[in-house]
Amino acid sequence: MKSDSSMDDDEAIGRSLAGDLAAYEALVARYSALAHRTAAMLGAGDEAEDVVQEAFVKAFRHLATFRRGSPFRPWLLRIVANETHNLTRSRGRRSDLAVRLSATADLRAPDDPEGAAVAQDRRARLLEAVRNLPERERQAVVCRYFLQLSEAETAQVLDWPLGTVKSSTHRGLARLREEVGSELA
Amino acid sequence: MSSHDDPSGDNPSGDASDGTFDDAFDGTFDDIAAELTALAGFLDAPNPPPADVAAAVRARLEPGRPTTDAPDPEATRHTPAPAPVRRTPARLLRRRRWQVVTAIVLVVIAITAATPQGRAAVATILRLAGIEITLGATTPTPIATPTPLPGERVVALESLAGQVGFPIKVPAELGDPQYATVSDNGRVASMFWPGGIRLDQFDGSLSPYFFKKVGPPWPEEITVAGVTGWWLGGEHPLGYITRDDDTAVPLRQAKPTLIWQSGALCYRLEGAGGKERAVQVANSLR
Repeated sequence: MKSDSSMDDDEAIGRSLAGDLAAYEALVARYSALAHRTAAMLGAGDEAEDVVQEAFVKAFRHLATFRRGSPFRPWLLRIVANETHNLTRSRGRRSDLAVRLSATADLRAPDDPEGAAVAQDRRARLLEAVRNLPERERQAVVCRYFLQLSEAETAQVLDWPLGTVKSSTHRGLARLREEVGSELA
Repeated sequence: MSSHDDPSGDNPSGDASDGTFDDAFDGTFDDIAAELTALAGFLDAPNPPPADVAAAVRARLEPGRPTTDAPDPEATRHTPAPAPVRRTPARLLRRRRWQVVTAIVLVVIAITAATPQGRAAVATILRLAGIEITLGATTPTPIATPTPLPGERVVALESLAGQVGFPIKVPAELGDPQYATVSDNGRVASMFWPGGIRLDQFDGSLSPYFFKKVGPPWPEEITVAGVTGWWLGGEHPLGYITRDDDTAVPLRQAKPTLIWQSGALCYRLEGAGGKERAVQVANSLR
């Protein structure tokens, strides 16, 4: 397995294109966590695992259309985003932000339960505000901050013009600040 | 997801005419952006064991298998029906993985909360590029006694790549390093140049390896080689989270550091000068 994990993306893709399924398996393992997070955050909900598996199968079949040398991550996440979009559309439901606040925070700083509760409450309010954003703004904010994608990557993943990413992000941030105020500054 | 679904976002210049946001556009949103990034570290999303996912995908791609994605024609028009195989083990294991991540976060929190400064300001934790960053309102106490990484040993440059489980890159801007080390059973590769420049490379995709504590100014988001990176412009305490028992080891005061992630691989470049120079060096990684 060592040789699999020491391949870089380009080498893994090259070998996958040549039919080396072990190389593709390594690539899937490498991006699995990020793909699941993306699917869940863009609305796949309970079906994130199925969406991700489907996206990886499709990515393999379309690997020949991948432009070698360009980053694999946004290319793959665009397929994940598309699969998620197809799912939510076919189910006729809103693409909810399917994540929950980690229970971790409840246990932090046991000698300062009050401060911990305040911090957790603040996070819950902010998450709720993100959930309630208009869909475009929510997707932009999720990609930029929850998935930590650059503006250019976000544009590629969501298949939007860069200007739309910028403006949706700004609108979303402005709305969030109005909703929850500024506390940390 | 085509852009004509909602025309409202297509015209950035149109924002100016929307009085509601005029004020907001005058300033930046660094505070709320930092808070959102921090919040990301507290969000649980499904993450079945990557090896299981990879095996399931491979099983579907094996040449022996029929290539029909979905027997149900209705489903094919939208998302092809998922293969019903392998669901259960992944679901059972999923929770465990998150408990592991949670445990690591708790270690960091415990350390932070153990100092008076930490208690006053257990503000926010960022998880970026395999590194946990605790953001506090005040400058954290410096680490007085430097400690090496667990099991750190000098290795010949030529043998560095063979001793870690990921590809090694070298910044062309700096040329060949003076020397290199491998730490923690091949989990971290480090290269050193004169003047205290250090580049650490590690696979941080599953859980963080390093932790940092910083007061203001907080990390600044910048673009490195086309991906998002973070610049920590001040000296700050740096520590390491061991894989074997999640022990958190304080290491030393780190010099200004640039961190970024490429795929699953994480990089931290320390002591390479100012922000522009550090980005220049990072961009030259080959």
